[in-house]
Amino acid sequence: MAGITIRGLSKNFGANAEVAAVSDINLEIADNSFVTLLGPSGCGKTTTLRLIAGYIVPDEGTIEVDGRTVSSASSVVSPESRGMGMVFQNYAIWPHKNVYENVVFGLKLRKVPAADAKKKVSDALALVNLAGLEQRYPNELSGGQQQRVALARSLVVEPEILLLDEPLSNLDAKLRERMRTELKVLQRRTGITFVYVTHDQAEALALSDRIAVMQLGKVQQFGTPLEVYTRPANRMVADFMGLVNLLPGKVRDVRNGAGTIELAGNLVIEAPALDGAGAGESVEVSIRPENIRLRVPSAATAAQAKITSHVFLGNISEYYAALPSGQVLRVQTHPLERFEVGSDVALEIDAKQCSVFRRGAGSEPS
Amino acid sequence: MSTEVMGTVLRAGSAARAGARRVRFEHVVMAGAILSLIILVVLPLLWLFYGSLRGEQGLSLDHFAEVLSGRLYVNALLNSLILGAWTGLFSLLIGLTLAWAVSRTDVPGKKFIQATATLSYLLPPFLTAIAFTYLFSPNAGLMNVLMRDVLGLPWLTFNIFSMTGLVIVTVMHTFPFVYLLASSALQSVDASYEEAAQILGASKLRTAFAITGPLVAPAVLSGTLLAFVNAIALFGSQAIIGLPGRIVTLPTRIYALFDYPPEYGLASALSLVFVLLTVGALYLQRSFLAKRSYVTLGGKGSRPQLMELGIFRWVVFGFAVVIFVIAILAPYATLIAVSFSKSWGLEFWKNLTFANYKFILFEYNVTQRAILNSLFLATIAATLAVFLGVVMGWIDLRTRIPGRKILDYASLIPLGLPGIVVAVALIQFWLAMPIALYGTLTILLLAYVGRYLPLGVRAANASLRQVDPSLEESAQILGASWTTTLREVTLPLIRPGLFAGWLLVFVPVIQELSASILLFSSSSITLAVAVYNLYETGYIEPVAALAMVNMAIIGVAIWLAYRIGGRSVSAREAAPVSN
Repeated sequence: MAGITIRGLSKNFGANAEVAAVSDINLEIADNSFVTLLGPSGCGKTTTLRLIAGYIVPDEGTIEVDGRTVSSASSVVSPESRGMGMVFQNYAIWPHKNVYENVVFGLKLRKVPAADAKKKVSDALALVNLAGLEQRYPNELSGGQQQRVALARSLVVEPEILLLDEPLSNLDAKLRERMRTELKVLQRRTGITFVYVTHDQAEALALSDRIAVMQLGKVQQFGTPLEVYTRPANRMVADFMGLVNLLPGKVRDVRNGAGTIELAGNLVIEAPALDGAGAGESVEVSIRPENIRLRVPSAATAAQAKITSHVFLGNISEYYAALPSGQVLRVQTHPLERFEVGSDVALEIDAKQCSVFRRGAGSEPS
Repeated sequence: MSTEVMGTVLRAGSAARAGARRVRFEHVVMAGAILSLIILVVLPLLWLFYGSLRGEQGLSLDHFAEVLSGRLYVNALLNSLILGAWTGLFSLLIGLTLAWAVSRTDVPGKKFIQATATLSYLLPPFLTAIAFTYLFSPNAGLMNVLMRDVLGLPWLTFNIFSMTGLVIVTVMHTFPFVYLLASSALQSVDASYEEAAQILGASKLRTAFAITGPLVAPAVLSGTLLAFVNAIALFGSQAIIGLPGRIVTLPTRIYALFDYPPEYGLASALSLVFVLLTVGALYLQRSFLAKRSYVTLGGKGSRPQLMELGIFRWVVFGFAVVIFVIAILAPYATLIAVSFSKSWGLEFWKNLTFANYKFILFEYNVTQRAILNSLFLATIAATLAVFLGVVMGWIDLRTRIPGRKILDYASLIPLGLPGIVVAVALIQFWLAMPIALYGTLTILLLAYVGRYLPLGVRAANASLRQVDPSLEESAQILGASWTTTLREVTLPLIRPGLFAGWLLVFVPVIQELSASILLFSSSSITLAVAVYNLYETGYIEPVAALAMVNMAIIGVAIWLAYRIGGRSVSAREAAPVSN
C-alpha cells in the first residue's frame, strides 16, 4: 500500500499562466487515508494534484510514494508508469467508447486475460452501482452515471492511490450528497489512499481523514476536519472554513497563554489562546455564528446589540446584530428562538470556541 | 475489490529509469515534423531570397531594381493589383448580399444559394475560364457569333479576353470566401444584441448599421482580403484569359521568365514582390479577423427574426440565380456540350459524338498517366499534410516545447505563397541539392504538401482543441503510452475533423495548376497540366472532354471520401467532447 510524502514542493508557471503556482508544499499523506486538498480556485490545489500524478515536473522539492522518489526537479516518473488512478472534474469519459470499453481500457494495457478482465469490469461496475449499463455510450448516461464510470475506470486497475479532482462539482446538490457517502464507503472498503481536491468545505469536512487547507499556493493548515474547523491556524483558514465573524480587539492581560481581550463594542472575552500576542497588542478574533447566543436583555445582562435583519433558512435562523461600534455580527440560532428586527439583544459568546489572530499575521497581502 | 488483490501496480524500477528528459518515440516524431517543415518551407524560401540577390558578381539588388522599374514587371504588378481590387470589390458585393439574404431574410431557395456558393468555390477556375472562351472569345465564341451574325446585335458581343472578362471569371471563384465568412459571422451574432437595440427604440435599419454591421465587419473585410489574395494567385485563369488579351499579371510574368533561358534571379525577385503583396494582405486579414472575437462570445442564443422582403425577395433570389448561371450553369453546360460536339459552333447539336472521350481516354497517351499521377499525388499529399498537421497541432497544444508558437506560425507561411512562387523556390532549392528531383513526382509532392500544409495544420489544430486534454491524461494515468493514447483516444476523437482536413487538401491538389505548371515533366504530368497543355495546343473539343473527366474524378473523389469518412461521424461521436 502506498503513502505519499511531499517535501518542499514548488512549481512556478511564470507571471501570466492560467495555472496556479505552488510553493513549499509539505504533506505526509498516510497509507489508506482520505486526504483532501481544500481551497478556493487558484489556490494551487489542482496543481498539487497534477504534480502528484506526474503531469507536471516540479521546480523544487520531491514527491515520494512508499519511500521511492517519483518526482523531483531532475527526474519524473511519467504518469503512465505511476500506477495511480485519477478521476477528472469533467470525468473525461471517452465519448467514442462505451461503458465497458472505457472501464476495460486499463486492464487491456495491463494485458489482463479477457475472461478475467470481463469479471473485473463487472465487479467494478457493480461496486459503483452501474451493473448492466456496459453497452451504453457516455452521451446516454446521466452526469452521476458518467461520474461513476470514471470511478470504475480508475478503480478496476486496483491503484494504490486514487487522485480525484473535484469529482462531484458538476453534479446537482442531492446527487452530490449521495455520491459523497458512496465515495467515503468505497474508500473504507478498498483501502485505497484517496487524494481529493475540492473547493467545497462541507465536502472536505464530511469526507476527509485529514484536510490540507490551501491558499495562495501554500498549505495553510494540515489537520483533521475538527482541528481545521475549530482551531484554524490563521485568519485565512478561519475565513475559508465556514462562516466567521472577525472582530478587531486588544489584549488586556495575559495569563499562561490565555488572556482577556477587549472587543469593539465593550465586549470582553476570555480567550483560551492568544496566538502569541502580548498585552496591549491588537488582535483579530474569529467567532463562528453558531457560537453566539442571543438573549433578551435583563437586569443581569445589559443590551449589547441591535437586530438589523433576519434570514430564515429552514433548519436555522440567521440574525445580523449591530454592535454600538457599527460592526455587524452574524448569529445563527435555532429557528424557534425568535427576535424582532429592531429589538435590543444581549450577546453570549462561547469564548472557548473563538480563535485569536495577531494583526497582520496570515492575512492576505493587500 | 479487496485489499489483498491490490498488487503493486507501480512498476518496480521504473522510477529509476524514466527520466523526464529521456528521448522517447514521440520526440522522434516531433523532430521529424519540424524537420519536414524546414525542408518543405523554410529552406526553399531562403533559397528564393538567395536567388533574388545572387548577381553576376556576388550579392546585389540588381534584380529588385529591374523588377521595380522595368515596364514589363511594373505592368504585371499593376495588372495584378487591378485584378485583385476589382475581384475583391465584386466578391464583397456578391458574397455579402447572398450571406445577408440567407442568414437574415426570408429569401426563397436558401439551400440553393448555399449550394451555389459551395460549388462555385469547389469548381476549378481554369476550367471555368476555358468554358468562357468557348462562349465569348471575340470571333468564334458561341454567344458572340449568336449576337453578331444571327441576331445582328454586334453591341451585345463581349470580349472575354479583357480585364472585365478576367474579373468576372475570377469573382465566380472568390466570392464564396466573403460569403462563408460573412454568413458564419452573421449567424454567430446573438439575436439578443439586436433585440436590445430594438427595445431601446432603434429601427431595423439603424440596428443593422449600429449593431450588426460593426460586429460582422471584421469577418466581411477578412473575407474580402482572402478573395483578393486568392484572385491574384490563380495562374490558370490569368494565363487562359489574360495572355490572349495581352493582360500580363504577376503569375504569368513569372511563368514567362522560365522560357529558355530561365531568368532565375528576376523570377525570384518578382516572386518576393508577389509574396510581399499577399503576405501584406493576409496580415491585414488576420488583424481584422482578430477583432472578430467578440462576435463569437454571443453564443448560441435565439435565432434572429428574419427580415420580410415582400416582393423584393424574388429580386434577391433572381440575383442568386444569375450568379448560379454565370458561375456554374453556363460554363459547365458549355463544357458538357463542347465535349460531345464534333465541331463547336452554333449548330453543334447536329453532330454529337463520343469521339472526344474516346480520343482523350484511349488514344491521347497523356491522359491515363495524368489521371494516375494526380490521384496518387493528391492522396499522398493530403495524407502527409494532415499527418504533419496533427503532429504540429499536438506540439502547439499539448506540449510546452519552447518555440512551439514559432513552429505554428512557420506552418502558416505557405498561405502567403502563391503556387507559382512555391514552384520558383522549390526549383532553385532542389537544383542546388545533390538529389535530382526536378521533373519528378517527388518535387510535385513537396510542392503540394508544402503549399497545403496550413490546411492540414488548421484542421488538426481545430479538432485537437475540441478534445479536452483530460481525455488523454486519463488514458495516460491508466498506463497508456503516447502512441497508445494517440491510437485509442485522440485519433478516434479527431477523425471526423481530420477527414474534413484531408478533403480540404485533396480537392485543391487534384486541380492544382499554379505550381505544377513549372514543375511537371512529361512523365510526372498531372491532370490540370494536361488540360492546360491540350488547350494551349489548340484542341477545342477534346479539351472539354478532358475537363469533364477531370470534373468526374473530383466528383467521385469527394463522394467516395464522404462515403468512407461519413461512417465515422455517427451520432454518438458527435457528442460533446470538451467540457
